[in-house]
Amino acid sequence: MRGIATLGIFQFLLIYLLLIIVLLVMKKSKINQTRLLLIASLRMTVQLVIVGYILQYIFKNPNPILTMIFLAIMIAFSIDRAIRGRKDLNKYFKVAIGTSLALSGLFVLIFFVTIVVSKSIFNPQYTIPLAGMIIGNAMTGINIGIKTFMASIKKEKSKITTLINLGIDPKDILKPFANNALETALIPTLNSMVGMGIIFLPGMMTGQILSGTLPTTAIMYQIAIMIAICTSVCLSVFLSLNMGYKSLYNNRKQFL
Amino acid sequence: MNEPLFQASNLIYQANLTYDRLRIEKGKINFIVGESGSGKSTLLKLINHSISPASGELLYNGKPIEDYDPITLRREVSLVSQEPFLFDESVLGNFKTFYSLRQIPLPDIEYINHITDLCLVNVPLDQNASTLSGGERQRVYISIFLSFSPKVLLLDEPTSALDEKTSFKVMKNITDFCKENDIEMIIVSHDKDIVDEFSENKIEIVKKG
Repeated sequence: MRGIATLGIFQFLLIYLLLIIVLLVMKKSKINQTRLLLIASLRMTVQLVIVGYILQYIFKNPNPILTMIFLAIMIAFSIDRAIRGRKDLNKYFKVAIGTSLALSGLFVLIFFVTIVVSKSIFNPQYTIPLAGMIIGNAMTGINIGIKTFMASIKKEKSKITTLINLGIDPKDILKPFANNALETALIPTLNSMVGMGIIFLPGMMTGQILSGTLPTTAIMYQIAIMIAICTSVCLSVFLSLNMGYKSLYNNRKQFL
Repeated sequence: MNEPLFQASNLIYQANLTYDRLRIEKGKINFIVGESGSGKSTLLKLINHSISPASGELLYNGKPIEDYDPITLRREVSLVSQEPFLFDESVLGNFKTFYSLRQIPLPDIEYINHITDLCLVNVPLDQNASTLSGGERQRVYISIFLSFSPKVLLLDEPTSALDEKTSFKVMKNITDFCKENDIEMIIVSHDKDIVDEFSENKIEIVKKG
């Protein structure tokens, strides 16, 4: 197989020209997000350049400690993104989310890298990109799941009050809400699995094919990562909600 | 003097919601009155223990309320809140759902008809609850809680969505049913005429701060 065509910096910059089209469409449609588009493009560029250099350094000088530090930072950032600004969550709920995200992500990642791919978890070339996909998707799943859960219990306040007054255990009242939120959080991942290969060629597979990997190898990785993502989303959202909702009532079965 | 049903002393929920001393009597229709914001609904929630006071003492049948299992207590001391909630299904379907949530068998249809008639639910039992008016919803809601025949029935503004004539009829039917079945009653109402007509023990709560 041929390797990927190296992008020269000038050629590469040409891709930014496409953003002019987006800008024009936004202007025409009176979407006042041109500032966001510029900031987003700039942030993406700067963040990825930095990460690119860091990864290049880590791959050239593989060191278990560096890999673990990188992994820890990824997890910390994803936890922060999942709970920041959520004033409706109490402290215990936030701890539940953080713990669930870290444990589920790490479990699926370790299984994937050490058992399926048979590489060391300290090997940055496998651990870091796979962790990004697994933990990033788990974070998105948790965002959807928690948002759905909190919104639905707020919306159904009179139902919850009625069931409390009826003498129903808060656990039995909240459990169906948690189940519904988990279902909602899982749908995007399941939908993308359904459309995969027909509607779109997923990013990781595209990347591997571009860099010269045999498509048959690329699809195996893609299938594996999709199953890994599905599992980490499912597990992390399930654990977050099931640990978290118990913080919404006390041992006198009263809502807090 | 008989032991009161509920007795509170120096009960404090929040700084502006305090109940210095109150007695709720057994075998009487107890009414809780006071201007809005004085904490009438809060008192009912303290009584069914869906909230706890910050300090003070609340006795139910002479025993501190904390000594009761909260779930058992709420089934025994049943609070019909001001805001009715019904599932999006028929009136009878709602009875079925509420009974299955409480894990007790549905009573026979004669009994359900009897209770809904008492509460002047004048719609067919197979009508969907989402099509009911505010007053109809309130009456169906009360009838479901009443049908469980709890030991103590707490009603929070039970006639707020009803016209005067219906209010009096419903209150008469409910109080008669409760007396016949030894159900203790504690009612929050701001309707002076209703209070004057039905109250046998009036507990006035004064707004603080």
